[in-house]
Amino acid sequence: MNKLRLTRWLVSLPPTLFLLLFFAAPSLLMIVTSFRYPGEFGGLAPLSAPETATAEGDSGLYGMTLETYRFFFSDVLYAEIFLKSFAVATATTLICLAMAYPVAMLIAQSAKKYRNLMILLVVLPFASNFLIRIYAWMIILGPESAFSHFVNHLLQALGFGPVMLLFSPFAVIVGMVYVHLPFMILPLYTNLEKHDPVLLDAAQDLGANRWQRFWLVTWPQSLPGVFSGSALVFIPVLGMFAVPDILGGTGDILIGNLIKDQFLGTRDWPFGSTLSIMLMLAVLCVAGLSTLLARPRVSR
Amino acid sequence: MSIRHALACLLYLLCLLVMLAGCTSRDHVTENTAGKHDNILRLFNWNNYISQETIEHFEQECQCRVTQDYYSDNEELLAKLAAGASGYDILVPTGNAMDTLIHQHALRELDKSQLPNLKNIDPHYLGTVFDPANRYSVPYAYTMTLLGFNHEKLAELGLPTDSWAIIFEPRYLEKIKGRVTVLDSQRELMAAALKYLGYSANDTDENHWQQAKALIIRAKPYWAAFSNTSYIRELAVGNLWVTHGYSNDMFQAAQDAKKTGRRFSIDFAIPREGAVLSLDSMVLHHSGHRPDLAHRFINFMLEGGNSAELTNLTGSGNPNLAARPYIQPEIIANTAIFPEAAQFARLEMLEDIDHTRRRLLSRIWTEIKLR
Repeated sequence: MNKLRLTRWLVSLPPTLFLLLFFAAPSLLMIVTSFRYPGEFGGLAPLSAPETATAEGDSGLYGMTLETYRFFFSDVLYAEIFLKSFAVATATTLICLAMAYPVAMLIAQSAKKYRNLMILLVVLPFASNFLIRIYAWMIILGPESAFSHFVNHLLQALGFGPVMLLFSPFAVIVGMVYVHLPFMILPLYTNLEKHDPVLLDAAQDLGANRWQRFWLVTWPQSLPGVFSGSALVFIPVLGMFAVPDILGGTGDILIGNLIKDQFLGTRDWPFGSTLSIMLMLAVLCVAGLSTLLARPRVSR
Repeated sequence: MSIRHALACLLYLLCLLVMLAGCTSRDHVTENTAGKHDNILRLFNWNNYISQETIEHFEQECQCRVTQDYYSDNEELLAKLAAGASGYDILVPTGNAMDTLIHQHALRELDKSQLPNLKNIDPHYLGTVFDPANRYSVPYAYTMTLLGFNHEKLAELGLPTDSWAIIFEPRYLEKIKGRVTVLDSQRELMAAALKYLGYSANDTDENHWQQAKALIIRAKPYWAAFSNTSYIRELAVGNLWVTHGYSNDMFQAAQDAKKTGRRFSIDFAIPREGAVLSLDSMVLHHSGHRPDLAHRFINFMLEGGNSAELTNLTGSGNPNLAARPYIQPEIIANTAIFPEAAQFARLEMLEDIDHTRRRLLSRIWTEIKLR
């Protein structure tokens, strides 16, 4: 018994160390950074920088300050951009779910010898670089593309004016859904595959129709897959900056773009850290809320 | 049983070792390899910013090898250096990035006795505010931030092409709605707006910034996107009609449109209100192992013929007077690459701003993007 425990510890130590080194430590660094002053040439101002502190009328204990947080809460602008990012992430997650569920079910229900091939096909796009796939969407959605012409002809026939597909919120959602769809299909599939078909037979014997069998038997059992898939889509979408950068129009800025800007263009590491911390807190709130909701309800 | 145990233990230790090795600094690695291949000049340069023939000529002349790494903007250069990239002999930053590097004491002073060809540089491009005595830098090439446009389309619509008004005034924009992009750069777009309003590109007065913001937000609904690179292709294939961007990118778009036999031509011009000039300079990074080769390279690049190869390839502006005879005549004649004296007087180089201003500008920029 004791030996087993020791082995368990030994096996789990390297990953734990890895997480500590590469997750906990950077997070702590980020928290400290958010209370510092930005350096003139990027990075941080030296810790003992009384001249900057006094010049800005801040108490500035040892070059630490609450300035970035004050700046964050002084304007509704940043709350707006958070809301917008959450809206985009929610929409992407729901669309991914709606598209992935049938695919995952199809794979789970097909003959065993085809399943691996189908999973391979789902994962295959990862073989080419993510940016190249996004650039491909640029060509597909461009105003002179066959797809654009087709959509606009259709709209014209229905009596609407032509639309620009590329550089629009629509293009951003398309890109996001495209990139993240496999992350929804895979957890759903691993969950659905394990369902016992006997349960469905039993439901049928008890008089449940097709829809009832899905809604009362399959769906509740698949909820863990739904939640893990949703987390795998929702959280990366929140931080994504490349897709809105490439496919988005003039208004498609998300929180990820703003954070990237702070570290590159603006060279404001403290404010970038503050934004990242706020994002983490927001994600934790959402995750906490969803675990609360997902908790199995006590029967009456 | 015991053998399996021992094996497991060994494997485990190996894993830990690999992890720890991953944590040690990679400086040792670079130093070791630099020791082995002594005769190498390492460049850290912009994408597509030197001709392959030039590299080969230099390799023959110095009996050495040249290796290159690339960056696509100054922020990337600074970020990579800040993250510990080292061993580069020569960097080619733009003025304000060079300013940062000088203040970080990241550069090595030049020994001008090894650079007799420095006399070839047009004095207009020497002694910039960033390095007044050229202690660290030698001008390499320059670009201007200007307007590129579809010549036939704009002529057909009767729109002016010599003023920033075309990207800021709704009365012009409504004819080209959705066919315009501007740079996704806080400083560059603000500079264009400030220039159009009659202020300096380096103006930091908050009221002027607010005016520029209002101007940009009013024009934004007519723009297709903020774009830093994709506009080159979109302009060349005819999807875009007016773009705010860099002169060498416009040159590339014009070449592409010509090569693919489009029914239109791409043209570019400096707006009459003035524009931003970005002068890229060769500097020596302190981490370089071969300052002697680096000086030879700089002197080599200052020779007219070698310097001209870059301009003929990329359409970048050339501060080297001795290069003029080797540059293709139609490039020399293009005033959007070699501006006339009156135009040159209205060009400005972007200077760095302090961190409170940067934060304020970033907020204005976020507002512009969100509204």
